[in-house]
Amino acid sequence: MKAAAFMVAGLLILGGCASPTATIRTVPDETPAADNAAATAVASAFAEAIATESANAAAQNPRAARPPVTPEDAPSMYTYDPWERLNRFTYRFNARFDEAIFLPAANTYRRAPAPVREGIHNFFGNLAEIDSVINHTLQGRLKYVARSLERLVINTSIGFGGLIDVAAKLKLPAAPTGFATTLAKWGMHPGPYLVIPLLGPSTVRGGVGFLADYGTSYGINVAGFYRGNVSWGLGVTNAVDQRANVGFRYYASGSPFEYERIRFLYVRKLLIEDEGLHAHASRKKAQAEEPAGK
Amino acid sequence: MAQEPGAPPLPSPAAELADSAGLRATVFGTPPQDMAALPEKVPLSEMNITLPWRLPLPDVLWFDGKLRVWLSAQKKPAPLAIVISGTGSDGNTRKLAVLRAVLYGAGYHVLTMPSPTFPGFIVSTSSTGVAGDLMQDGHDLYAAMVEILAHLPRKVRITDVDVLGYSLGGANAAIVKSIDATERKLNVHRVLMINPPVSLFSSVGRLDKLFAMTIGAGDEDVELLYRRLYAQLANLYRASDRLEIDEDFLLGAAAETLKTDAEFSAAIALSFRIDLVDMFFIGDLYAKTGVVIDAKHPPKVGDSLDRIQRILRDQPFSEYFTQVFAPYYLKRRPDATGASLIAANRLDIIGAALRADGDYYAQTSSDDLILDKRELTWLRDTLGSRIAVYDHGGHLGNLGDRQQVADMLDMLAGRWPRIEK
Repeated sequence: MKAAAFMVAGLLILGGCASPTATIRTVPDETPAADNAAATAVASAFAEAIATESANAAAQNPRAARPPVTPEDAPSMYTYDPWERLNRFTYRFNARFDEAIFLPAANTYRRAPAPVREGIHNFFGNLAEIDSVINHTLQGRLKYVARSLERLVINTSIGFGGLIDVAAKLKLPAAPTGFATTLAKWGMHPGPYLVIPLLGPSTVRGGVGFLADYGTSYGINVAGFYRGNVSWGLGVTNAVDQRANVGFRYYASGSPFEYERIRFLYVRKLLIEDEGLHAHASRKKAQAEEPAGK
Repeated sequence: MAQEPGAPPLPSPAAELADSAGLRATVFGTPPQDMAALPEKVPLSEMNITLPWRLPLPDVLWFDGKLRVWLSAQKKPAPLAIVISGTGSDGNTRKLAVLRAVLYGAGYHVLTMPSPTFPGFIVSTSSTGVAGDLMQDGHDLYAAMVEILAHLPRKVRITDVDVLGYSLGGANAAIVKSIDATERKLNVHRVLMINPPVSLFSSVGRLDKLFAMTIGAGDEDVELLYRRLYAQLANLYRASDRLEIDEDFLLGAAAETLKTDAEFSAAIALSFRIDLVDMFFIGDLYAKTGVVIDAKHPPKVGDSLDRIQRILRDQPFSEYFTQVFAPYYLKRRPDATGASLIAANRLDIIGAALRADGDYYAQTSSDDLILDKRELTWLRDTLGSRIAVYDHGGHLGNLGDRQQVADMLDMLAGRWPRIEK
């Protein structure tokens, strides 16, 4: 009975029925001085990094030996989306869920002291290192296998079970990856665009990757975190932490074309990342008539 | 968009519309190191309000039913600064965040609002659904402001009301004060226009010209631009040896990708065109003009909008005017003509008030690409000492820098023009 009442209330909220004339909700404070200081640091660091990376790429990186991507190689502007109607309804469901439940939870969480949030974020990041080690191995990227392994050992031990990212301070930044990237590395094309309930924009390859990552965590079940009652609490906390670290807001654009624009950008981002993965393989020749992702 | 193998060069026509420094400033804005001092913390609340005069909500725009504005309130009694966003933008842009920070830091309550040309505003607040008429949009804005202030928490104690806006929002702010002069519901004290247009249609005409010159007029030209950008980003990404594309990469890539006048111009023109696509779609839907939407069978939530988007991205503002805006308003204003509609969208419809009332102020740059020389001269002649014209800054490219902020705060406090000691 109680569950049914909650469900009805939830559906009413998601359906937009609870709409008083005006609502005011407090959101986390802005921190303009700190943000501007960070922007200054990022701007100078990036200029330096691009110069160094370009020089290194030319000198050492075998990818640089590949012919550059030309405009003719770009995929079509249109995206393969055979399940568009279903995807659009899922997108709307996600938007309503996010607005009614996910975002308010993330905003509440963002009011917690920064060291607490940082600790939680680091903790889940550290757990994900196991999946990264496995997938970097499957991708044959030994440099990153070593880095993820080192991070896991250092942060689990002297980082108090992953609460403190000691490895980052030792210039070992995180290099997260998952099974979706492994599939990409193995040559699997993204496939049709897919909006996954609660998770958001993805592709068939991304969906399979997500299930495989979850299956891996469930199978290994580190410290019993992934099965039983504790897994629910940790799963929800992880989801809220991830949401709190993403700036995107559904329909902040107000645009009727938001679905098209997100789909366009998401799939191009994926295809450009694929370009970086295939160091030696020949690129799939772009076909002007063929939608991107097919 | 550095040159890619096999791609013809982008034409470089911008020189006749704006200089190189102005274009660069317009695209990249104020560098973080040149920003005015900003406060450590700014409290923020989000207000979503359903306005009683809202038009029926189309299925495909289900998410835009409420007007969303943002409030940063002081704990003690303080003047309220209402800030209006620029063309097509919402009430929480980065530019608004900068203005909010400096105004809050200077002791104001700050309320930031979307532009009347922002889709969320058109759907939730416009009484016509057809955006772009300066006076009509001003009336809608004014009515919304009155409603919002009536719903503010009692603990927000307001001692005075100033209105400011940037770009088109600047012109909107001035119109709001002129409406308030007769309606007297807000008692607007001072108004500040930051980089305003003088003639909406002449400014957007310049942006359309920029689009045609740098990108082209057809679908294949937009595709060519996309292909150039894709190749450039893919090559940068491959060289960067990163694991994923993140915000830092994109920021850096923008600096690497946009380097010439033609590239700056294309970025500015494209950004405006994306806003126009939304405005055109919503206008056509509400006005039932049938340009891209079948009035009897409008699109629903699950329907693809690809075809419509493809058609609209080739349409300049002049097409919006002739196919949606003019038919809608000419039907409702029997005495109007196309020429009179254009004339009604010039700031000189309130020229007398701008001249006579010492509480109107403006800031602009001599290299702002939305103004031609005659328009800049008109602003100077009309406002006299109440306008600050900077040598550089392009369109909003100096927003938030020390000089702009110091002048803005002096203008709003009535300390302008400064008396040199």
